[in-house]
Amino acid sequence: MTEIKKSLVERLFAEHGGALQAFLYRRVHRHPDAAELAQEVYVRMLRVPNMTTVRNPEAYLYAVASNLAKEHARRARHYSNVTDIDDPLVQDQLAELPAFGGDLDREQRVKRLREVLRQLSPKCQAAVELQYWHGLSYEEIAQRLGISTNMVKKYLSQALVHCRRRMARLG
Amino acid sequence: MSPNEERLRILIAEQAAEWFVSNRAGLSAREREAFTAWLKASPVHVEEYLGLASIARDLREVGADSESSVDSIVARARAAEVEPIQPLWPRAPETEPYPFSARWRAAAATAAACVGLCLGLLAWWNFRLAPLGPAPDTAAALHFETRHGEQQTHRLPDGSILHLNTDTAVAISYSKSERILMLASGEADFEVTHEPERPFRVFAGSAEVIDIGTQFDVRLEHDLTVVTVVAGRVAVGPSSMLRERGRNAGQEPLTRFVELHADQQISVAQGVWPAAPIAVDAHRTTSWLRRQIMFDHEPLSLVATEFNRYASKPIEITTPALRDLQISGVFTTDDTDGFIAFLRSLAGVHVEVTATRIRVSRD
Repeated sequence: MTEIKKSLVERLFAEHGGALQAFLYRRVHRHPDAAELAQEVYVRMLRVPNMTTVRNPEAYLYAVASNLAKEHARRARHYSNVTDIDDPLVQDQLAELPAFGGDLDREQRVKRLREVLRQLSPKCQAAVELQYWHGLSYEEIAQRLGISTNMVKKYLSQALVHCRRRMARLG
Repeated sequence: MSPNEERLRILIAEQAAEWFVSNRAGLSAREREAFTAWLKASPVHVEEYLGLASIARDLREVGADSESSVDSIVARARAAEVEPIQPLWPRAPETEPYPFSARWRAAAATAAACVGLCLGLLAWWNFRLAPLGPAPDTAAALHFETRHGEQQTHRLPDGSILHLNTDTAVAISYSKSERILMLASGEADFEVTHEPERPFRVFAGSAEVIDIGTQFDVRLEHDLTVVTVVAGRVAVGPSSMLRERGRNAGQEPLTRFVELHADQQISVAQGVWPAAPIAVDAHRTTSWLRRQIMFDHEPLSLVATEFNRYASKPIEITTPALRDLQISGVFTTDDTDGFIAFLRSLAGVHVEVTATRIRVSRD
């Protein structure tokens, strides 16, 4: 059964991979972010226990992608200096009613994460900020900090593991 | 969660993070294949990857209300350069447990059922991975498992050979600077291709073994770690995973490490280190590699325990006096019938084979 699921997901991505990435790019406006999200869509699809029970796998694929893109944009408000009213995402956001305290949990999490981030070494922290706050590429970060691209990647993965461990304690 | 599970969990998190970071820069066709294989290897890998993806999303939000410009961030990091080097995780005492979510537990249980997938992965590993060695900085990461009674042999990308004995789980992570193997349970034999630039480190229970060009065997049973050297030399010491595992753990001076030579063995129980290694016949310790078990005047109780590591029906000694009966001989691990015939040939020993058990008693 797992093999069937696997081949289905793989077929889906072989057929829609390019279109999906374009779909995500229109929403997040950054190629690396779109690539990262497309990868996550793929991993999420792999996790579906039985793909054959998904009525319309293509629609499901885009629904997952669309949700991830929304989530991504909500957290990256920072980027958008200009609001484009024709942007499908802006319309999505306008259609959503503001939440009442449902975000409290998230606020706490973000606050805690901010503390966790400060535990990292200065360069490691800077690499995270440049990538996640300013969307700089690995090469740009390497150049700015005067370190190798490999070191940038190493810092970023160390930071992710550290944050994951610290945040897991939160429950 | 046992310390081993916890260490395995951290190792998987490290692997997931490396993939996550590489994915953003884009993968080559071969790396993509390796990534897919890694995901397929275990549902735990999938969970961990998604966990990191959600952390990455939260990290974006942390910066949403930040006023720091690119220049100010760079200036701050550069200014810190002149300060003494800080440990990477200054406030992270390593003894604090890494809490398991219920979901991860469930995933870990499913992982045990994933042997089929692992086999596919092994085929892939054996035939495709050889050229992965010099890949940019994408660490190859995998784990292998054997079922009860099963043995496997794998050639690793650096040419080292890994033999797995029954009920064994090993996680492997190769990076540019080190080769890390984590024995989560069971027994494994390592024939290591020596690479002075890239140490080969095996973590098992409270011990860590660093290869100095050799073949050695590591067995982990509950809190007992037994390291036996077949040829060459290794350094054995307290696991650095239990201490801080920072950036350059590999460069620590090996102060508390003991050097072990061929036919020497060291047993570490619950982190308690013996004064010196003992002399053993390593050929015997590794007889499982030849699917043999060798006994030289060993009590029947020990022989039965050893057989039960492989047998589908456990051997039970119902007459206590028989437990000390001395046994010598060479047996094949999967030939229980041969062993039963041998026991039956002994004077005063009765063997009864039921549907689920092999009972050994006095006539």
